[in-house]
Amino acid sequence: MIILLVPSLLLLFLVFGIPFFRYIWLSLHSFSVSTSLIPINNNGANWIRLINDERFWQDVIQTARFAILSVSLEIIIALCIALLLNQSWKGKGLIRAITLLPWALPTTIMALGWRWIFNNPYGPIEQFLSLVNLSELNILSSPYLTWIATVVADVWKTTPFVALILLAGLQTIPNDLYEALYIEGGNARDALLKITIPLLKPYLFISMIFRFSQAFGVFDLIQVMTGGGPAGSTESLALYAYLNAMRFLDFGYSSTIVIGSFIILVVICITSWIILKQTIYLVKQ
Amino acid sequence: MKKSTKLWLIVLLIWSLSPLIWQLYSSFCTTDVLIKPFEIHSNRWTLDNYKQILNADIGFSKYIINSTIVGISTTFLTILIAIPGSYSLARLPVKIHNLTRSLILIAALSPYVLLFLALLEMARKFNLANNLILLSLPYSALSLPLALLLLASAFKDIPKELEEASRIEGLSSFQTVRFILLPLIKPSIASTAILVFLFSWNEYPIALSWLSNPEALTLPVAIARLAGSSIYSVPYGAYAAATVLGSIPLLLIVLIFQRQIVSGLTNGAIKG
Amino acid sequence: MSFIFVKKSVINLFFLTTLTSLNSNGKADITKQINILMPAPFQESTKELINEFNEKNIGKIKVRVTKGPRETEAVSDLAISSLLLGNSPYDGLLIDVTWLPKYAQAGWITDLSKWFSNDEYGELESGAQKGNKYNSVLYRWPFVADIGLLYWRTDLMEMPPRTPVELMNISKELQRKRLVKYGYVWQGRQYEGLSCVFLELVKGFGGDWLSKTGKVELSNEKTIAAVKWLKSLLDSKVSPIAVTNFSEPEALQTFKNGDAAFMRNWPYAWKELHKDDSKVIGKVGITTMVSTDDNQPVATLGSWGFSIISTSKNKNETAKLIKFLTSDYAQQKLFRKYGYTPTRKSTFRSTELRKEIPIIQELQKALNLSKPRPMTPVYAQISDVLQRHLSSVLSDNKDVRIEMMKAKSTTQKILDSTGLIVK
Repeated sequence: MIILLVPSLLLLFLVFGIPFFRYIWLSLHSFSVSTSLIPINNNGANWIRLINDERFWQDVIQTARFAILSVSLEIIIALCIALLLNQSWKGKGLIRAITLLPWALPTTIMALGWRWIFNNPYGPIEQFLSLVNLSELNILSSPYLTWIATVVADVWKTTPFVALILLAGLQTIPNDLYEALYIEGGNARDALLKITIPLLKPYLFISMIFRFSQAFGVFDLIQVMTGGGPAGSTESLALYAYLNAMRFLDFGYSSTIVIGSFIILVVICITSWIILKQTIYLVKQ
Repeated sequence: MKKSTKLWLIVLLIWSLSPLIWQLYSSFCTTDVLIKPFEIHSNRWTLDNYKQILNADIGFSKYIINSTIVGISTTFLTILIAIPGSYSLARLPVKIHNLTRSLILIAALSPYVLLFLALLEMARKFNLANNLILLSLPYSALSLPLALLLLASAFKDIPKELEEASRIEGLSSFQTVRFILLPLIKPSIASTAILVFLFSWNEYPIALSWLSNPEALTLPVAIARLAGSSIYSVPYGAYAAATVLGSIPLLLIVLIFQRQIVSGLTNGAIKG
Repeated sequence: MSFIFVKKSVINLFFLTTLTSLNSNGKADITKQINILMPAPFQESTKELINEFNEKNIGKIKVRVTKGPRETEAVSDLAISSLLLGNSPYDGLLIDVTWLPKYAQAGWITDLSKWFSNDEYGELESGAQKGNKYNSVLYRWPFVADIGLLYWRTDLMEMPPRTPVELMNISKELQRKRLVKYGYVWQGRQYEGLSCVFLELVKGFGGDWLSKTGKVELSNEKTIAAVKWLKSLLDSKVSPIAVTNFSEPEALQTFKNGDAAFMRNWPYAWKELHKDDSKVIGKVGITTMVSTDDNQPVATLGSWGFSIISTSKNKNETAKLIKFLTSDYAQQKLFRKYGYTPTRKSTFRSTELRKEIPIIQELQKALNLSKPRPMTPVYAQISDVLQRHLSSVLSDNKDVRIEMMKAKSTTQKILDSTGLIVK
C-alpha cells in the first residue's frame, strides 16, 4: 500500500529535501564570481558575514513588518467579506467569482498595474490629488509610504483567498447557536465575539499561519512593483537572496540568506505559537 | 437583502474591480490622455496599445500558449501522482499517517520561492532548462502537498465498508479504486486540478530561473519582463494592454470554475 | 537472396553516410546560424544592418537577433540566467560596460585579440578604448559610446553653467521669473542611473568612488560635498522631489515638455528632443557635466559593446558580424538615424558628419573626458550599496556623512571578501 506513496515522497524529497541539504552545504562555501564560480570551503565565513550584515537584518524587519501588517489586514477584511458572503441571495455565485478574481490573476500582472496606479505624476492617485489641489504624495518615492503601497497590493490580491477559508468555517457553525443567543437577549456584537470568532478560531489560525509563511517569502510583487526601493525600504529576504544569486553571482552567500531566512521564519512561528498558547492558558485561568 | 448589506456589497465590488477597470481604461487611452487626463483631446481612444503588444516579435499568444502547456502538463502529472499517493496516505496506520501528513504540511507551508537557486542548479546539472514540459516536474512537486492533503481527505470520507464490499464482490484493488472510489472523489479531483492549474499558470520565481529562452517564457515572466522603464518613453498604455490581455484567460477560468475553486479551497481548509 | 539484400542495404547505407557527410562539410548549402542577444532598442535600430549582413553572407551566415527586455538590469538578468543554465543559446552578447569584469571573471566571454588586432584597437577614439579590457585582456568590442551629458536650453541662457554654483543660480533665477517649472532634472531613482549621476558629479568635485589604487573614497570630503550638493538641489526645489523616482524616460519627458532648464541624460536624448512632439526643438544645447573650479568636468562612460560567448561554436562568424556592426559605415548610419555616439576615430573625423550634425564635436569632447565606473567583478554589489545609501539621503533625508560612511564600510567589506584587485 505504502508503495503508492513512494512517487509522491520521492518527488517531494527531490524538490524540497535535496535543496535543503544543498543550501546548507553551499552556505559553508565561497562560491561566487570572485572564486570563478568554483566552490571553496570557507569555514563559516558566510555565516559571520550574515550576522554582521546590516542589510540582512533590515530586510528581516522589513519582511516581518510587511507580513504582519498584510496578514492582519487580510484577516480582518476577509472576516468582513466572509460574513457578508455567508448570507444568501440571488447572484451570489457571480459576486463570489468577482471577489475571487484578484486572487486568481498572476501577481506580476497586477504588480505592474499597481506601479501604474501609484505612479507620480501620471497615476490616478496623484492625478486626483493634483485635481483637488492637494500636494503630491510621491508614494513610490517615499520610504515610509512605498511599503504601505506594497501591503495594499498584497491585501487586494490575497484577501479573497482568506475570505473563502473563513467562509468555509462560518458554514460549519450551526444556526441554532445564534438563535439560542438571541433568545437569551444577546446582540449582534455578542454573537460575533461569543460564537463566531471562538468557533472560527481553527480557520483563523490556519489561514494566518499559511498566509504568514507565504507573505514572509514575498518576491514577485516586490520585484516587479518596486524592485526593493526606494532606499531599499521594500526589499524582502527572498529578493535579497535572489539578487545575490542572479545579479551578484554569489551563490554561497545567497544560500546563507536562504537558510538564515528559513531559521528566522521557524523561530517566529514557534515563538508566536508559544505566546498564543500562553495567552490562551492565562485567559482560561 | 438589507440595505446595508447591499451597500457593503457595492463597496466590495468596487474594491475588487476598480484596479482592473483602471487598467482596462488605460489600455484604450492614447499616451497624451494618460499624461494629461483633464485636458481636452481630439483623439482619446486608441487600439495602438493592443496592436503594439500583439505585433511584438514574439506575439502575446505565444506566452499564453506556453503558460497553458505548463498548466496542463503540471495538472496532469500532479493528479497522476497524487491519486495513488493520497489513497495510500488515507489508508496508512494512524501513527505513520500523522507523521507523513505533518511532513507534507510543512512542505505546503514553507515559502517555496527560496528553492529557486537549488532548482536552477538542478536544471543546469541535468539540462532541464527551457523545456515547458520538464518545468512541470518542479511545479508538480510544489503543488503536490496541497493535492495530497485535499485528495487524502476526500478518500478518508469514503467509508471503509465500501471497499470491503467491493473486495467481496471479487474486484481487485485496482478495480476498486478505478470503478468505486475514483467516481466518488471526482469533485475533489476537479477542484484540486483547477487549483494546481491556477498555481502553475501564475507561478513566477521558478519560471524565472528555469526559462531563459524568450520563446519559452510563460505569461507571468513575460509580463514582468515588460516592466521596467523603456529608454525612450513611459509606455504605460502598452503595459495596461498587456495586463488586460493576460487577465482574460483567468477571468474565464474563474467564471467557469468558480464552484470548483471555492469547494477546493474550502475543503482544503476544513480538512487540510 | 538475403545476402544480396544485405549487401544492397549496406551499399545504400554507405551512400547515405557519404551524402550526409558531404552535406555537413560541403561548401554549397551550409549556413551557420548565429544568435545574438541585444536589449530591445538596439535590436530595433540594428534591424536594417542585420538584414544587410545576412544578404551579403547568404548561404554562409545567418544572424538571428534575440530581442531582450528594454531595461538594462533586466537584460543582464536574462543574459545571466541563460549563461547560468548552461548551453547558452547565444553566440554573442551586447553587454554594458559594467558587466564586463563579472562575465570575464566567470569565464563566460572569450578573448577577442584573435580577431581584433592592437592596430585596430588604436583606431578607436581614446574615450571608447576604456572599459573593454579586464586584466589586460580584450573581452569586448565597443558598439556605441554612451556618455553622461548636460542638456541645456539655449533660449533661456547665453552660455551653459560650468560650475555647480552657476547651475544652481541660473535655475533659481529662471524659476523665480517663472520661465521654467524646474531647474534641473536628472536620474534619482534607486537604480544604476543614480550611480552614473553620482560618478561624474563626484569626480567633478574632485572626489571619487574607488581610487586608482582601489581605495574606497566614498567618505572623502569632496565626495561628501558633491552628494550634499545633489541633496541641496531637492531642498532648494531646483529639482522636483519626484526626481527621486526618475529614471531616463521621466527626465526626458519633463525636459521635452519644456518644464526644465537642465537635464542630465545620454546622447540618445538629442534625437528624442527633436521629434515632432517635442516643445524644445532648436532650443537645446549639450555640454559636459558641471565641475568645481579646479576640476575637469567628467562624463560617466556608459557604453555598449559586443562580446563572444566562450561556448560558442561560431566564433569566427560572430566576430565577422561584430566587425560589420561596428564599421565606419554602420557607425555613420546609426549616428545619423538614432544618434548613437560613434567609437571610431575615422567616424568622428568625417567632415560630412561634422557639418551635418555639429554636436558630434561636443560628443567627442565628452567622450574623451569620460570615466568608466569601477572595473570589478563585484561592481553590481558595490553599485547597489551606493544606490541604497544615496537613495536614503535623497528620499529619506538621512544625514549625508553618516550614509556615505556606511556606504564606505560596506563597500570595503565587499571588496575585502573577494580578495580581488580593483582596476
